[in-house]
Amino acid sequence: MERPPWRGLGHSAVLPRPRDYGATGTGRGLGEMTTLKKNYREQIRALAPVLVLAGLVLGIGALRPGFLNWDSLIVTVANTAILFILAAGSTFVVMLGSIDLSIQAICSFASVIVAVMLPGYGYAAIPVAVAMGLVTGTISGLFHVWLKIPSFIVTLATSGLLVSAALLLSHERAISIDEAGRAHLTWVNGEFLRLPNVIWVAALIAVFGIWSQKYTAFGRYSIAIGAGEPATWASGVRVNRYKVIAFAVSGALAALAGVLMAGREGSGSPTLADQLLLPAIAAVIVGGTAITGGAGGIGRTAVGALIITIVRVGMTFIGVNIFAQQIVFGLVLVLAVALTIDRTKIVIVK
Amino acid sequence: MSEKALLNLTNVSKAFAGVQALDRVSIEIRPGEVVGLVGENGAGKSTLIRILAGVYRPDSGTLALEGKPLVLASPREANLQGIGIVFQEQSLLPNLTVAENIYLGQEKEFSRWGVISWSALHTAAKRQLEKVQLNIDPAARTAHLTFAERQMVELAKALALEERTERHLVILLDEPTSVLEQREIDILFERVRALRSRASFVFVSHRLDEVLQISDRVYVMKDGKVVAEMPAGETSVPELHRLMVGRELHAEYYREARQQAPAANVAMQADGLTVEGAYRQVDFTLREGEILGIAGVIGSGREELTRTLFGFRPHSAGKLTVAGKKVRLTSPDQAAALGIGYIPRERRTEGLVLTLPIVPNITLASLGTVMKAGAIQGAKERRLAESWVEKLRVRTPGVDALCLNLSGGNQQKVVLSKWMNARSKILIFDHPTRGLDVGAKEEVYDMMRTLSEQGIAIVLTADTLEETIGLSHSIIVMRDGEVTARFDASPGKKPVQVDLIRHMV
Repeated sequence: MERPPWRGLGHSAVLPRPRDYGATGTGRGLGEMTTLKKNYREQIRALAPVLVLAGLVLGIGALRPGFLNWDSLIVTVANTAILFILAAGSTFVVMLGSIDLSIQAICSFASVIVAVMLPGYGYAAIPVAVAMGLVTGTISGLFHVWLKIPSFIVTLATSGLLVSAALLLSHERAISIDEAGRAHLTWVNGEFLRLPNVIWVAALIAVFGIWSQKYTAFGRYSIAIGAGEPATWASGVRVNRYKVIAFAVSGALAALAGVLMAGREGSGSPTLADQLLLPAIAAVIVGGTAITGGAGGIGRTAVGALIITIVRVGMTFIGVNIFAQQIVFGLVLVLAVALTIDRTKIVIVK
Repeated sequence: MSEKALLNLTNVSKAFAGVQALDRVSIEIRPGEVVGLVGENGAGKSTLIRILAGVYRPDSGTLALEGKPLVLASPREANLQGIGIVFQEQSLLPNLTVAENIYLGQEKEFSRWGVISWSALHTAAKRQLEKVQLNIDPAARTAHLTFAERQMVELAKALALEERTERHLVILLDEPTSVLEQREIDILFERVRALRSRASFVFVSHRLDEVLQISDRVYVMKDGKVVAEMPAGETSVPELHRLMVGRELHAEYYREARQQAPAANVAMQADGLTVEGAYRQVDFTLREGEILGIAGVIGSGREELTRTLFGFRPHSAGKLTVAGKKVRLTSPDQAAALGIGYIPRERRTEGLVLTLPIVPNITLASLGTVMKAGAIQGAKERRLAESWVEKLRVRTPGVDALCLNLSGGNQQKVVLSKWMNARSKILIFDHPTRGLDVGAKEEVYDMMRTLSEQGIAIVLTADTLEETIGLSHSIIVMRDGEVTARFDASPGKKPVQVDLIRHMV
């Protein structure tokens, strides 16, 4: 068979046959090596949050042996549940490479809706509150994709809008829920099979979240969009649709967190979740979801939320002023991003 | 060598990811000379220019300026040595003024205590603009200039280097004429001739007649090597062309024996298709099993036409018919839903999600094929990916390998698997062999023939004319946004490159 007198490739004068080229080329051997090295590093990166969590639990357990008994651990997990639900929704948004800064406002507003509506409308207040979150998230998402406004700006604006709405609706006060109203929320503080119901709700969301990530088109496309939006778009995926869904999910779960908080506190307040935005985003990132998108998941956020709660418990033990705790969460967030971000892939940060 | 050389490159080699872009290239540039550099796409012209401009560093070989060894670690160092470049893709910042652009990075010379003296900057810029006889306000925003004016500003910017070095300048012109009108080209050439007392020029162009018109001496490059060097007066366009291509077409290389007559069914048809400002009145008929090649230089509108066919750039007038249905594609998902697939030029950004494994990349365009009752069937998806990897002989440790770690050829196979799995009926191949080595190219040609035998219709914009002619059943040639010629490219009736080039430039 005659071959074109093509250029020598340097390493061989005879042109390799198509079938041989992988064996002679540099591609495969090198590829395997970098894959292994990369996998090793990525495994450590994936495991790191779990190790940190174990370390924290044991560390605090050593300081306060009482922390390690069953009841105390359950209380810690129950205290994590709401933070986790808040963070779980925004995990999908972060996986896309975007961010939702309106979750704490949606959460507070939902608590106000519940507090205002429960006396008159009973259980109907709960779906209304969650629907508010869903609609708000959808609107943020639509503005984000239609007008091509960065997600942090859109959600910052949404957040401002909701804060005002909550203040107006509540007449700038915390509204305590009366006995009749509380009857509709006793399930929040109840137990099932010796576990607080909030844990069950959080677990349900975690399981469904992990499942949808692995088995639904939405989960698959979220990761793909975060990791490579141009390629995903050029494969015929309706990128905008899935982005809007992510914001809608984030809003709905934030509102659900607000309902649960109202039940636990027995009141709704326009400032109820003010201190939760930073810990929620920290939980997502500390868990190992990349702020640049394309990697991570709800399971990781669960670990991240536990870490954040235990850090909070630890600070209380040590005696850190409760108002100074946000300093620590801020530092933890920056540190977690600094440790997890892959700077080799990022040229410019704005 | 009669004259003393100003700039010498000796035995310079450069490889990218295993592809030898330059192979022991030696050239010299003499004072006051215009040196033409010609070659096909991928011949190494741009790499050579970028080494001269300090953008790339050679793997081996030496540079010398006036006989003294020269190491260029950055474009800035090249500037300091009096080497300037006018890029093919213009490099001026549109939001700055002309004067700011000319002296970008040198504002210090015009400032005291950190405050810029605008009058001094504008006076200096005016001086540079006079060299190219461009009568515009140095305070004008660059975005408001015409393309040709911006090109002249680039040239003025390069000439401003005069003030920073005692030496004769070397100015590299990388395809400066590809988007200029004839009148503007005349002005550019006139300026280049007039400036030869101050500078030497290296002129890179596809347009061979222009190269001969302006150059004193010509280097011909092919496959990373200099294959000829001669005075411009002693050669001709056909000779240059023969040297560039260097051989007759090898029918077998492009699997011409496997080229079959297309079916009668029309897969896609364009009537008077137009995108305002890019191309107009394009007609073509694409049949099942046909490969339609589109030939044209940069700015001919063929790239935009390709983008229209996959919904990136919806047409503004005319009619596009896919499988008998009139359509206007406003996004890729619409195109994909009609059974169109796109193998992009930017394989690493638009072709694959590099940081994901092979499996999800293969099903990215057709996740529905592995879903049942709303859930992805992991095992089925994996088996499917494995079967594609086997069928297309993707060389990888496994289907869980990240696409990032595959070689270019294997990445391209994954992109193809994606569209084959989506059962696309029409495939748009946008520079499918870019950056691939010879073996991988041949595999792509093989796959295209196989697809074509299966009745898949293919639109091809290729890197080289040779590829376009070798692979296509029929060819349309575009120039300045219009179709200027059509060729039948059945085996035995293939046109030769000069036939096409005549209608391209």
